[in-house]
Amino acid sequence: MSTTLFRTIQPNHFTLLTNALLRTRRTSRHISVRCQTSTTTQQSSSQQQQPRTSAPKNHGSNKLDEILKDYEAVIGIETHVQLSTSTKAFCSCPNSYGSHPNTSICPVCMGLPGALPVLSSKVVDFGVRLGLALNCSLSLKSKFDRKQYFYPDLPKGYQISQFDVPIASGGYVDVDIPLEFGGGHRRFGITRVHMEEDAGKLLHSDAGDYSQVDLNRAGVPLLEIVSEPDIRSGVEAAEYGSEMQRIVRYLGVSNGNMQEGSLRCDVNISIRPIGQAEFGTKVEIKNLNAFSAMSRAIDYEITRQALLYNQGQADQIVTETRLWDEGAQKTVTMRKKEGLADYRYFPEPDLPEVILTQEYVDSIRASLPELPEAKRRRYEAMGLGIQDVLFLANDVSVAEYFDEVIGKGADVKSAANWLMSDIAAYLKNEELSISDVKLTPQELAELIAAIKDETISGKIGKQILFELLAKGGTVQGMIKEKDLVQITDPVEIEKMIMKVISESPKQLEQYRSGKTKLQGFFTGQVMKMSKGKANPALLNKILLEKLNAKD
Amino acid sequence: MATTRALLAIRSASPPCIIRIKASTFSSSLSFQRHGAIARCFSSDTNPSVLQPPDVSRLAETARISVTPAEIEECGPKIRQVIDWFGQLQQVDVNSVEPAIRAEMEGGNLREDAPETFENRESIRASIPSFDEVYLKVPKVLNKE
Repeated sequence: MSTTLFRTIQPNHFTLLTNALLRTRRTSRHISVRCQTSTTTQQSSSQQQQPRTSAPKNHGSNKLDEILKDYEAVIGIETHVQLSTSTKAFCSCPNSYGSHPNTSICPVCMGLPGALPVLSSKVVDFGVRLGLALNCSLSLKSKFDRKQYFYPDLPKGYQISQFDVPIASGGYVDVDIPLEFGGGHRRFGITRVHMEEDAGKLLHSDAGDYSQVDLNRAGVPLLEIVSEPDIRSGVEAAEYGSEMQRIVRYLGVSNGNMQEGSLRCDVNISIRPIGQAEFGTKVEIKNLNAFSAMSRAIDYEITRQALLYNQGQADQIVTETRLWDEGAQKTVTMRKKEGLADYRYFPEPDLPEVILTQEYVDSIRASLPELPEAKRRRYEAMGLGIQDVLFLANDVSVAEYFDEVIGKGADVKSAANWLMSDIAAYLKNEELSISDVKLTPQELAELIAAIKDETISGKIGKQILFELLAKGGTVQGMIKEKDLVQITDPVEIEKMIMKVISESPKQLEQYRSGKTKLQGFFTGQVMKMSKGKANPALLNKILLEKLNAKD
Repeated sequence: MATTRALLAIRSASPPCIIRIKASTFSSSLSFQRHGAIARCFSSDTNPSVLQPPDVSRLAETARISVTPAEIEECGPKIRQVIDWFGQLQQVDVNSVEPAIRAEMEGGNLREDAPETFENRESIRASIPSFDEVYLKVPKVLNKE
């Protein structure tokens, strides 16, 4: 393997590697280097997509829609997922967020002389899991490489990563675009998934010429997911990011919190006149803390680049890293890349190959949970509308709850409605998650059944829901305790109606002389008398009879 | 690792070219030279004499080692010798050979995901000269290059 010792400079995974190094790759790629700008463009034979018949829809910006008539945005996203393992990637230091600084350290993650890394089996497990979930081909043999650069939060002076033989590659993810942004399905390619370690945390103090480093995070395992440049708008990017979050949470490999930093997305974006095959100059955007920020940053950047194109200043667009300024709502230059970074990758000599057996991969595949995409399609097949589908499948705990409820035989549409309206509102108000509520799926199914067979009315159902959510208990128990059984005996209802009518002669007079809206008044009175238990349909039927009778 | 071993080989082989480790590296701004990389990627049928000569000053920059022009002159040919030595491997025809990832046959050596607190963290922290109570104090560096 003499070729591995002398390696061409490769800045990041977007500017792809030559064929000689990648005999495992299925698609062939060509690399053309533009000498003037420091950009590497790629034309992939597998990426010759048909020109779009309609530009991706945007949520309101006419300016953007105008731009998108002339230009196409080409967007790729690099996602770093911090794994929720108990230990770091290459040593047994605890991996716990929020510990006192510089307490989860040891000679290995501190890069002290003589210390040697040992890979955690959990990291491989999670890597295979995520690779399979993203429909990738797994490399049964992969390796680690050293990515070398100097920075205060990088103790060893290199990051252990995977360069040319990642654990997984060539996958895809299917997403549903939310209805308010046009709806529809999209498939985005996944170039690769690889394992690596995180760096420490660098804190810049405003005062003084020094910064501070906390190495608790150094060595924490990461999975990096690189997408194909298939994304075409901010909306699509936000949905891609959300789906990544959904998937890692469904799999249980990460808690996917952008705020905590356990899910980080960097966007690579360029635009090109529609119809042009060559990619434009690529700009990287960092410092995105939310999917909405990602969407807005992309919209801003498309506008910025298009403006320069329109002014004939396309050469002002340079390969650089820009930061998203949430306050100013714009991207700002962080630094211009002076040439491509030279990481001097070489195979990590301290770590052996990562070898996967087909049995191992198959056993993990068999243990994968139902993934968001499969759930969405199943819910759709059950007859639920796309809005309901997207809500229910978004949070794995909610989906599991829903599945349990309908598993007990409850009507699908009713279960969906309860979860999406009253229960969702309760969770939001109380700031709880579905796992915190005292109402068990069994009891929700009971509630739905009790309303369906008219034991109690819908209104009563809503009333006891609140108590069931907060305190638990059984539906049957509560019905007995509070005497909530619906009154469905027509004789009884008629008695109450007659009483109300006799007590309200004035309103009766008004009704009979034309004010038919007063029916509501009578309904209300009877309901009050029956403590809400009168069956509404029966009540109205009999009431109308009595009101319209010639006395 | 190969580079350091090579440098050690050079030192022991002939009158030493003195290499000083740069004490403070953070203030230097790096401008990479795009030409003269140590070697380009090539397939196995490239003639070894086509190997690029080493760009010693760039090598030194990337390793954060300061070298004088005299040292660059001196080290160049020596590093070249090492490269050429490895370059002999280019003469082997490996077109019909499946690339091996590593030389050894067994992979594995994986660790259980069971946390262990390192006993002597205090001495690690104590050995850091710039350790400031809770954090490591470092010069303010904003760019990675």
